[in-house]
Amino acid sequence: MADGRRRILSSGPGMSSIRSVAVAALLTALGATTAFSASLAFGGGSLGMASTNTPRCTSAGLGLIQNLSGSNVISVTVNSLPSACGNATLQVTLNNLTTSSGGSATVPAAGGSVTVTLAAAVAMAATEEIDLVLTGP
Amino acid sequence: MSIPRGRLTLIVGAVVCALAVQAGLAAGLNLASQALTPYRTCVITATTAATTAVIDASVRQGSATSNFGTQTTNNVATQSGQNRRLYVRYDLSLCTPAIPATATVRLATIRMFATGLPTTCRTVDVFRVTATWTEAGITWNNQPFGTAINNPASGSASDTFDIGTPVGCQNVTVNAFIVGATVTSDVAAFVAGTATNFGWMLRDDVEGSASALTSTFSAKNLGTAAQAPQLVVTYVTVP
Repeated sequence: MADGRRRILSSGPGMSSIRSVAVAALLTALGATTAFSASLAFGGGSLGMASTNTPRCTSAGLGLIQNLSGSNVISVTVNSLPSACGNATLQVTLNNLTTSSGGSATVPAAGGSVTVTLAAAVAMAATEEIDLVLTGP
Repeated sequence: MSIPRGRLTLIVGAVVCALAVQAGLAAGLNLASQALTPYRTCVITATTAATTAVIDASVRQGSATSNFGTQTTNNVATQSGQNRRLYVRYDLSLCTPAIPATATVRLATIRMFATGLPTTCRTVDVFRVTATWTEAGITWNNQPFGTAINNPASGSASDTFDIGTPVGCQNVTVNAFIVGATVTSDVAAFVAGTATNFGWMLRDDVEGSASALTSTFSAKNLGTAAQAPQLVVTYVTVP
């Protein structure tokens, strides 16, 4: 038993060297893991169980005006767009609870306002939902 | 002394695997995404004339017991003994989908179509109403803010806008929707449930002027979609 114990704890210079190399290699691998993880830059979205905020070009309030032809909404003008949203694609979907229509346009490079023409006119109603999605820039 | 070959192989294999896995993760997780900025908007419009989504009525000091809830125009006016105020309420509960109580309201604006402008640039105050009223029942005498002029104090207004014909006035164009009536914090309070939506009252910043100075707006009962009063609420569900 005493001999066995000595063999395990003190295996001589050769064994010690090999074991040190192995341990060092493992530590290096774990260190690399940490380094890789630290340098991973997530742009947004979610991955597996983790998630992170998606970057946005603005958090400001956007003005919105419906442009009519008679009593139908034919386009939507979105204003107060900051330059940070310049060149983004603005998608608009209007829903009057019975029909919906949409369209898209590119935000001017300097921001400002942009008018999105709907694919089909939608009758103006007492309540409407209009979704705006800016993709990019 | 020698380490068993099998054990050494196992150790080296583990190290190689660990490095390989990390290299793979690093390559696979090199993600890049575009900015994605979603907004949702609820627009409440006083159409048709019979809708209950919007109620509006002017009250007139000179006809203190009369109701003007069926008029096709509304007024904000200042004149001694003849002041006029405008009450309007938009039913936010009709927004579909409902605005979540946890939503962040980014912008809420009242839009009204001005058909008549005062000859001097006037400041109009927008106050959040704190008591109930009805379109068919409100009068100067029973209005929620009482009959005292210049009440409530201008400083408690949710917002103000200027209107009049002089060049340089904020709203100088007749037959156009006004700009500047922003009620974002009020709507946020309605949505969050920290205040009850009784609508807003608009009055001249200084009531009781010597001569009549009147702003005229198209009312719900005009029944013209292109001039109908609106509330536009833009919000996000994830800040």
